[in-house]
Amino acid sequence: MAEIQALRLGRFSRAIVWRPWWRVVMAWGVVGVALAGCLSLGKIALTPPELLAALSAPLSDTGLIVWQLRLPRTLLAALVGGALALSGWLLQQVMRNPLASPDTLGVTSGASAAAVAYFSLLAADLGHAWLPLAAAGGALMAVGIVYWLAWQQGVTPLRLVLMGIGLSALLTAATTFLLVSSPFSTTLSAYVWLTGSVYGGNWSEVARLSIGLALALVAMAPLVRYALLAAVDDALAVGIGVRVQRMRGALTLLAAVIAGLAVAWGGAIAFVGLIAPHLARRLVPVPGAAQIVMAIAAGAIVVMLADLVGRTLFLPLDLPAGIFVAAIGAPFFLMLLIRQVR
Amino acid sequence: MAMLSANDLTLGYQRQAILRHLSLELPESKISVLVGSNGCGKSTLLKALARLLTPWQGGVALDGKNIHRQPTRIVARTLSLLPQHPVAPEGITVRQLVSLGRHPHQSWRAQWSEEDERQVERALSRTDLLGDAHRSVDTLSGGQRQRAWIAMAVAQDTPLMLLDEPTSFLDLAHQMEVLELLASLNQVSGKTIVMVLHDLNLACRYADHIVALRDGRIHAQGTPHEVITRQRVKEIFQLDCQVIDDPYFHTPLCIPFARREGT
Repeated sequence: MAEIQALRLGRFSRAIVWRPWWRVVMAWGVVGVALAGCLSLGKIALTPPELLAALSAPLSDTGLIVWQLRLPRTLLAALVGGALALSGWLLQQVMRNPLASPDTLGVTSGASAAAVAYFSLLAADLGHAWLPLAAAGGALMAVGIVYWLAWQQGVTPLRLVLMGIGLSALLTAATTFLLVSSPFSTTLSAYVWLTGSVYGGNWSEVARLSIGLALALVAMAPLVRYALLAAVDDALAVGIGVRVQRMRGALTLLAAVIAGLAVAWGGAIAFVGLIAPHLARRLVPVPGAAQIVMAIAAGAIVVMLADLVGRTLFLPLDLPAGIFVAAIGAPFFLMLLIRQVR
Repeated sequence: MAMLSANDLTLGYQRQAILRHLSLELPESKISVLVGSNGCGKSTLLKALARLLTPWQGGVALDGKNIHRQPTRIVARTLSLLPQHPVAPEGITVRQLVSLGRHPHQSWRAQWSEEDERQVERALSRTDLLGDAHRSVDTLSGGQRQRAWIAMAVAQDTPLMLLDEPTSFLDLAHQMEVLELLASLNQVSGKTIVMVLHDLNLACRYADHIVALRDGRIHAQGTPHEVITRQRVKEIFQLDCQVIDDPYFHTPLCIPFARREGT
């Protein structure tokens, strides 16, 4: 009975596997270090004592930089990364496919199409305030259409993946059409959004994204145990009394909402949703709560570092984080896969 | 109480009917084995009995009540199922897998009660997997993996177990191991076991009740002695054979001939 410990309080009981948690704690330590790094580095670099001084004096010059510019931007990056990682993890379970990610379901392409449509049709009148809403709406609508198309007396993971890829291709075509037929200035801002950027992240954005994600996490509480069961095949799941279609629908909706929120404020950085769960599985091989929390940490770290690189390495340019999520993430992802095969 | 029966069952895939007006009562606390040639509908029947398929006509009753009208979770406390090619989540350990079998007994509040823990440990020791419980299911051999799946069904603690070809892909020694395990579950715990088997001779040795299917209907059912005769085997499998008395177990022993050159 070494690996599973029981946590019981009256009728409340949980099985806890403690072993992987120390790695999770260490990963969150790395998140902390990355946060400190993101706050210290930039056009004006701060030493650790200077950072502490800036943090304790929010109204000083450096204090303003840290509190009003770097902290909200870094938190936004962490939230976006963590949310996409969580969504990716859920979808890889539900689709029983290690290649599934928010991209596969059409989340990214739906949000992109909606965002670009917003840039070229509405932004002139409404400004950028409603952009996140448009993007999130587009993401959810795309997932809804994919689900509806895949439905045939219930959905199977394979049909979902195939329909998702099909609809994504269509939406990407629509996005490209809008991009090339819009004026150059629109195209440029739309293109930055498409790459994925947390540029100019402020506290109100952080607050809205955190509230959205917190609500999604509350909804997730009763679904966590089903997230594990989703990876079991249908016949077996019915055998142990799971209502498979209901479970699949609920988990897909949850994953779509979480990714939709992240994409709304972070742009199309969805590659994180593919790599972070894989990283987590390498570090915590046993599926469960520890693996989920690890995936969230990994996603947060990847996007925070990508944004840090984007805004410091090519000064005075401030490049979108999305470029470096792929530039850092992809080689790392390939390395993981190569080592796994050997 | 765990009485499973089918009444006037008709169902199939797409538009093609596989089972036609099939009625069946499975004896309680006995081992029933479904046999028949490929495509005769025995796996379909097992799936229908396990409520995986919705009948076009007729129905399946568990303890006299329509199985589709009962909450699937309540049914899962009476009836467990091991499908033909079950898929385990990546990286899951044997103990985690076995504890999934406790799902129908759990709620949001109680997800690892003392009873859950007791049943999982008991299932692991019954299937001789205690020493491997911490291992990842991906690393198990075929025989161990099959025992782990059976342990999951045992942990579900149901009076009725349905198994679709539990011995496929196992060598003879591991086939025997699995069948002995199921026989002991039947004898010691009085479980009703319904399974599909391909090996007629092993079916004869372990079954109390054999149900032979042909073209989606029940061709014959009864004890192995009643069902497995030269004439019947020819009708069921279109195969000539000689049926002799197993000198050791005294169950029917079928010696098949080639389809064409048979005597």
